[in-house]
Amino acid sequence: MPLDYPIATRTLGNGLRVVVSPDHTVPTVTLNLWVGVGSRHEGPGRTGLAHLFEHLMFQGSANVAEGEHFSLLMEQGGTLNATTWFDRTNYFETVPTGALDLALWLEADRQGRLLEAVTQANLDNQRDVVKEEKRQRYDNQPYGTAIADLGSLVFPEGHPYHHPTIGSMEDLDAATLDDVHDFYRRHYAPGNTVLTLVGDVTPEDGFAAVARHFDGLTAEAPAPQQPRGQLPPLTAAPRVDLAEDVPNDRLYLGFRLPVAHTPEFLACAVALDALGSLMTSRLYRRLVRSEELATSVSGASLGLIDGASLGFLGIDVAEGADPAQVEAAVCAELERFAQEGPTPVELESSLADTERSWLEALAGHQERADLISHYTLLHDDPEHINTYLDGVRAVTAEQVRRAAARWLVPDARATVAFTVAPDVSTEVVA
Amino acid sequence: MSTAAPAVGPRPEVAEPAPWAFPEPERFVLSNGLSVQAFDMPGQHVLSLQLGVPAPLAGEPREVEGVGLIMARCLDLGTTRHTADEMAELLARKGIALHAGVGERAVLVEVDTISRNLPDALDLLVECLTEADFPEAEVRREVRRRLADIGQDRADPASLAALEFIRTYFDPADRASRPGGGSRETVARITAEDVRAYHAATLHPDGAVLAVAGDLSGIALHELLEAALARWPSRPGHRPAEAARGTRAPDAGRIVLVDRPGAVQTELHVGGPGPSRTDPAGWGPYQVLSFAVGGSPQARIDSVLREERGYTYGIRAGFRHRAHGGLFLASGSVRGEVTVEAVEALLDILDLRGSDLTDAELAHAAGYQARTAPGRFATCEAVAGEAVSLALDGLEVDFVSRTVAQIRTLEPEVARAAWDRHRGEPWTVVLVGDAQHAAGIRALGRGRVDVVTQPREPSSSPMRAEDAEAPR
Repeated sequence: MPLDYPIATRTLGNGLRVVVSPDHTVPTVTLNLWVGVGSRHEGPGRTGLAHLFEHLMFQGSANVAEGEHFSLLMEQGGTLNATTWFDRTNYFETVPTGALDLALWLEADRQGRLLEAVTQANLDNQRDVVKEEKRQRYDNQPYGTAIADLGSLVFPEGHPYHHPTIGSMEDLDAATLDDVHDFYRRHYAPGNTVLTLVGDVTPEDGFAAVARHFDGLTAEAPAPQQPRGQLPPLTAAPRVDLAEDVPNDRLYLGFRLPVAHTPEFLACAVALDALGSLMTSRLYRRLVRSEELATSVSGASLGLIDGASLGFLGIDVAEGADPAQVEAAVCAELERFAQEGPTPVELESSLADTERSWLEALAGHQERADLISHYTLLHDDPEHINTYLDGVRAVTAEQVRRAAARWLVPDARATVAFTVAPDVSTEVVA
Repeated sequence: MSTAAPAVGPRPEVAEPAPWAFPEPERFVLSNGLSVQAFDMPGQHVLSLQLGVPAPLAGEPREVEGVGLIMARCLDLGTTRHTADEMAELLARKGIALHAGVGERAVLVEVDTISRNLPDALDLLVECLTEADFPEAEVRREVRRRLADIGQDRADPASLAALEFIRTYFDPADRASRPGGGSRETVARITAEDVRAYHAATLHPDGAVLAVAGDLSGIALHELLEAALARWPSRPGHRPAEAARGTRAPDAGRIVLVDRPGAVQTELHVGGPGPSRTDPAGWGPYQVLSFAVGGSPQARIDSVLREERGYTYGIRAGFRHRAHGGLFLASGSVRGEVTVEAVEALLDILDLRGSDLTDAELAHAAGYQARTAPGRFATCEAVAGEAVSLALDGLEVDFVSRTVAQIRTLEPEVARAAWDRHRGEPWTVVLVGDAQHAAGIRALGRGRVDVVTQPREPSSSPMRAEDAEAPR
């Protein structure tokens, strides 16, 4: 039975898609914008530009001084941020109901009138900030490059997902003010944006408030960058072995998966639950509980739209165990799962876990708004939050088995294997 | 070039937010002595159950510190009725998430379940609390996992800085100076027998609190809890250990640089004493000061280190309460090559006097802290978590509403005086980065600088490579 979160939609004359989902239990409103631009739109030599650009959206716009976007909203009790990912850029704020108009006014100013405030000085400053973000989150962390390493193995050279969203230091250094201006003109337009309101507002008031501030925006929507055709599974099990200064050996196994919002993708997600995500997963039972070759196992599926999604398994190898033996055991379990498919209990457990985590995600206004924007922008499906669990319930064991047999077999894996470097000098942190 | 920028209306005025108060729970005490707070939050389909059992870390036997965490993690890994694997399957089939851990003052158990599975969730929770039998193999596995985590903590610059910070800041005799989850040495010693003994000594309902938050319509909660928890017997006369005082070490006011050769960033932790939530000035001024100094990109620290100079992705700072007293702590990472400049700038900013704080920045910070409260406590997890945290400090949930009320009418002078009362110098400064910066740090004249190296041999603790100069 579908859930019943209320969903009202309207499209403004300039193409902005607006969704309002009222919930009056808390006197706040969450605004969540998804703009249809992410790192998949970046050209060669300009990786990291979408994310660097997102930082500049907080540095002022035509009628908003540098820093004011944060300070005006925070003073009113707003919490706000933004994120950039492969397929999109996301801006969000939660404000007391009385500050909704202010938040919309600020968003409209930067979504429609940014460029006159973008200067070389704030580009240079935010470039430095982003480089520190990259160092903090990736370069100065053990295993920090894992997802980027997986992406470059799983997706071919030139594919939009081959490079990580954070980009490279060289490309960040190379970004010019002209690049930033071109990027904004090319991608930031009402017709390339979804704005969702969740919280203490009626659809009627919400639509009117959005129209008041966004109707004046006139930029033409870009021609959409057509997704590539579905990538087939990998066939030759590519790998990279990295001997680094890490605390223990760790394996990441990546897989191409079907694009998001398809029954095949859902079936793969269930398979990864049964294989690696749940505490009852096959790999956890075998590697951690029974053979004690690993200390932890995880699994996840990341839905994407451009030719493939990404699935992965992560395994921390126990001290003294042989990573090759661990990988061989994983491959044996992949083979077995592809033959047997999930047991009824595995199917039941995956569904139960998905149901709880989906409802938990929807419990907060911010995450609810984010999911609505997500499925509206990328899949034109604003009601998805209400119907997703029915889709999961409809997945059969045979669908899961077939999906696993195609997408999650040993030859379709890409391996990033971190091992503890034997020759690291003795002063280094262990 | 695009056409002229579209027209814009005037900046909208903001209406004063409606009054708000933290949700008022239904309170009752079960016959086994467990206090319950029930928060009915319509529309919240996943219930959050959070249990806090007073069991301060200071009560762990010194030689097996970390036994509390191992005990908590093993609660669902085997009972007299089910093996770990069977228990995992029982929880998984109902989609029940059960996590247990330890805090400074208590063992904390959290259960998330969709409401229709509440009876099953309670049965399994009580089975874990009362019938866990800590099989040898499971304890051994959790010990091994914790040892792996210790290795990972040491490899992560932020975790390493936090560990070195408590080691430097707190008196070595105080439990707070040592990792909550124990060290390699103590964890490696823990046996199933130790875990059973600690369980028997601590896990009783007397003085414990259970918060349940979510859509409770149609649920006879009191009866349900009474029936389920009757199997968890009271132990009259049970007295939990005292929480650590959090005494500062006599030589805490110094700079420690943990060498991480070649590190592209330096992780900073700078701290000094702070108040507990029962400070006579109230908690409101400290929330306001936290935001003004280190709570946003426009706060005192990041307006310089991030927005002006681009040294960092962000440094966060604020007051952190403990059972007794608290800390003011600033932490974050900066580009390696500007380590010295960043430390100098940060310490200069923290030299702040109360009188330097403007009315405008205090009003701005007060606006944020007072008006974000409704959003901060919009989910079951946040409400139940806050209720348990407060109860363990002997506070009722009206503390939140009272603090918000205090902030709304806070006189700037009260905030200024509160800052001056807890100004942290001499600060305890921990840096994790390349030791090549040591000379520059010494040249700042901010007192004694010790450089420590991390031996690779995993079973030893960090050792001091050189004792530098005495405080100036």
